[in-house]
Amino acid sequence: MSTLVSPVSAMPQKDIAKPPSRLTLKSQLDDMALLWPWVEALALEYAIPEDALFGVHLCLEEAISNVIRHGYNGEPGHTLSVDCVSPKAHEVLFVIEDQAPPFDPVSGSIPEEQPASSPMDYLRPGGRGILLMRKFSGSLAYERLPGGNRLTIGFDLTR
Amino acid sequence: MELSTQELDGGVTRVALDGRMDLAGAAAVDMKMNLIAGSANKLLIDLQKVTFLGSMGLRSIVLPARAVKSKGGKVVLFAPTEMVESVLKTSGIDAILPVHHDLANALAALQ
Repeated sequence: MSTLVSPVSAMPQKDIAKPPSRLTLKSQLDDMALLWPWVEALALEYAIPEDALFGVHLCLEEAISNVIRHGYNGEPGHTLSVDCVSPKAHEVLFVIEDQAPPFDPVSGSIPEEQPASSPMDYLRPGGRGILLMRKFSGSLAYERLPGGNRLTIGFDLTR
Repeated sequence: MELSTQELDGGVTRVALDGRMDLAGAAAVDMKMNLIAGSANKLLIDLQKVTFLGSMGLRSIVLPARAVKSKGGKVVLFAPTEMVESVLKTSGIDAILPVHHDLANALAALQ
């Protein structure tokens, strides 16, 4: 199920091998199990603090599950990629690219993102993802690509 | 992800969650949580040992809580870590499912 650019089996030797900068996932939720070991290895590489790491996990889980469930509408047979880059000290960016129809989670235009109209609506499943991503990331940017989407999630490691 | 239950005085069911409430963790406890929600009327969800809570995990708390509340029951959340509590507050869940850090207060809120 994994399609890493460089093999995950190399990661346990963390003092020797750097984690791959790209993770490629299939459009199925169980492929998200690959996220945790990859992010944990990156956390060592970039010295990501524990609180920021919580946010990284939260935002990636939310963004990627959105792509699989909404962007690809749960259809198998597609892929998406996650790249980790550090353009400057104390900042890491996760860039998620897919080939799904236009899908902008940052705009909050997903139907289930509408505000709750009654207290019990808070108990409706879903609808909180974008709030959580805004809270736990340093930056969120969406770009429409030819034939796909790109979501860039930034984390300030000094916070 | 592990789940254990304990029946307390006053008809309170304490459900202790332990581990990461991510997609896989949520899937691991969903069925048990729903079964518990089917029989409990006073539910204390113990989050002390939950190290991560994402929106998928939140759903695994919210759905059973809604089931209990819809039949007139009460639900409280107990002792989340600072980061987990931040997830609860950001999502507005704490306004509907009160969060307590003191067990006596949590139990009192269920009576």
